[in-house]
Amino acid sequence: MRHGTRPGVLLTALLLAMGVALLGCPKRPDLSQAGPAAVGPGAAGPGAAGPGAAGPAAVGPAAVVAPRPRVGEPLVTRPTPPAEAAVQPIPGAPGAAVPAASPLKDVFFDFDKADIREDQKAALNHNVGWLKASARVKITVEGHCDERGTAEYNLGLGERRAKAVKDYLVDARIAADRIATISYGKERPFVLGHDESAWKWNRRGHFVISGH
Amino acid sequence: MQKLRWAAVCVILVALMGWPSSAGAQVIERELRERIVPKITIAVAGFAPFVMHGEDLGKLGASVLIADLRFTTVFDVMDPATLPFEPRTVQLDQERPLFPGLNSLKVQQLAVGQVSSRGRETVVEGRLFDVAAGNMIFGKRYVGDPKFYRLMIHRFADDIMFHLTGEKGVAQTRIAFVSTVSRTAKEIFVMDYDGANPVAHTGNQSINLSPRWSPDGRMIAYTSYRNGNPDLFVLNIDSIRRDVLSAQRGLNATPAWSPDGQWLVFAMSAGGGTNLFLIPKGGGTPKALTTGPPISVSPSFSPNGRQIVFNSDRGGSPQIYVMDVDGTNLQRVTFQGNYNSSPRWSPRGEKIVFMCRLAGNQICLINPDGTGLQQLTSLGSNEDPSWSPDGRHIVFTSTRMGHRDIFVMHADGTEQTRITSTGQDNYLPDWSP
Repeated sequence: MRHGTRPGVLLTALLLAMGVALLGCPKRPDLSQAGPAAVGPGAAGPGAAGPGAAGPAAVGPAAVVAPRPRVGEPLVTRPTPPAEAAVQPIPGAPGAAVPAASPLKDVFFDFDKADIREDQKAALNHNVGWLKASARVKITVEGHCDERGTAEYNLGLGERRAKAVKDYLVDARIAADRIATISYGKERPFVLGHDESAWKWNRRGHFVISGH
Repeated sequence: MQKLRWAAVCVILVALMGWPSSAGAQVIERELRERIVPKITIAVAGFAPFVMHGEDLGKLGASVLIADLRFTTVFDVMDPATLPFEPRTVQLDQERPLFPGLNSLKVQQLAVGQVSSRGRETVVEGRLFDVAAGNMIFGKRYVGDPKFYRLMIHRFADDIMFHLTGEKGVAQTRIAFVSTVSRTAKEIFVMDYDGANPVAHTGNQSINLSPRWSPDGRMIAYTSYRNGNPDLFVLNIDSIRRDVLSAQRGLNATPAWSPDGQWLVFAMSAGGGTNLFLIPKGGGTPKALTTGPPISVSPSFSPNGRQIVFNSDRGGSPQIYVMDVDGTNLQRVTFQGNYNSSPRWSPRGEKIVFMCRLAGNQICLINPDGTGLQQLTSLGSNEDPSWSPDGRHIVFTSTRMGHRDIFVMHADGTEQTRITSTGQDNYLPDWSP
């Protein structure tokens, strides 16, 4: 590797990448309505703080993707197609329709557990009664976790919680095809906070009416 | 080419176990062998002021190069103030008179840079000298659009690393991560390995998680809720093309690429628990590697592609397990603590890094056979570790400065440094090849 005489003057051309603004990415239905106002852990809940009080975006050019050049490659320009053109969002996806005041109550869980607690059965039985009286309503049960576990493991835990709620409803003779489940792990905390006063509200099964 | 020198040092411990008069002297000798890796002492000079758009690219270039070289852990980079000359006054072709002074300070290598402009392009001329031998090791010209200036300097740093050690540096690598950009949107971003130039690679305003680089660095697998379900996508980072790889109802999450790039393992919850499945990179019928009600997530291949480390609660709490790539020969790796998660196999195969719950969420190392548990962090809540491709560094998430940010550290836990400071929640980092 040693060039003992002169500097090896390597003229390297840089791949010029054209960052083309991503044309309007298709929006999926906004889930932001699924905030605390929709259900609320009762009047006593510290539920005023919505998920993600983090404020608006400030990182980078959020809609522009510039392919990286590699030094030493020949000068190339490459048009960039609109982002995410390959996939279209499905209208009316679960979570799209959330009434301002849901007739369905959330259920809460113990840490790293998906068992239905005795003290949560009243809320579930209330929901069973409401679902029996509203026979055409379809729902999605969202499984949520507190922030202590890892993001990836909590996806599995949230899934297990949502399924535990669904199983309870099915055992209570609610048709399984009326109940979808989805896990949000710890990605959509109900209450922001870093102690049990917040965590206990975030380990929950959240009911969303997804169709009539 | 000057090679990194590996020296074996024998330490003789002589223990004198008393001098009983009848038995005479009893001497126990113990020999310990240690590998000592001396750092290469290097000085950076040149980079005279060159102002563009109000910024001194010379000053920036020197600071980026010094940071790159220091980060390698291979170099002992001289503090510019301790050099026997003013480093920024050094011009190209005037390096040789500096060698005697550098030699007296035991500086082995000298890197010199000079920034100029040619039309619309920025030019960095970089040279590396062997001070003791008095030779130039290489000289190279890096040319590019000014917006890629940092990348040119990173390239220079990697060239220095390669010429002196034969190892591929990581200065041109990148880190993919998730950033919470609004109340409901979590997008995949890619930034330089030092935190510069964050760029969004999704813009669907839903939740996007768990980016994982393909071994060739051209694709990122990730999970997106954009269609109302956590589906598995693969995006081509250059063309911005993205394809759905798995969209079964329920989780299609936490992907991992096989080392040959032909397969992915990911977690799917269709039909029972959350289990790991193997799927060809172009799509196909997923093959179950785990079954039953337990949660199995966060897989990571061993570098030889024969084993997979993953996270499961099959023993009652989340722990680290290893299995063969066909799902057989399952073995539990972690037993200490009631919550161990997010394992990643090291690039050389000798360690697994993971989140351990020992006085809070910390980053730990363990040998694949379950021995040698070592805690690397102690501040804040830490998770999501990922190795640099050379195995010398680990990127991870920490809350120690408030919300979640991306940090890097050396693989021994030293020099823990925050590299995101956007004021947002940044997490789930994955280091590129």
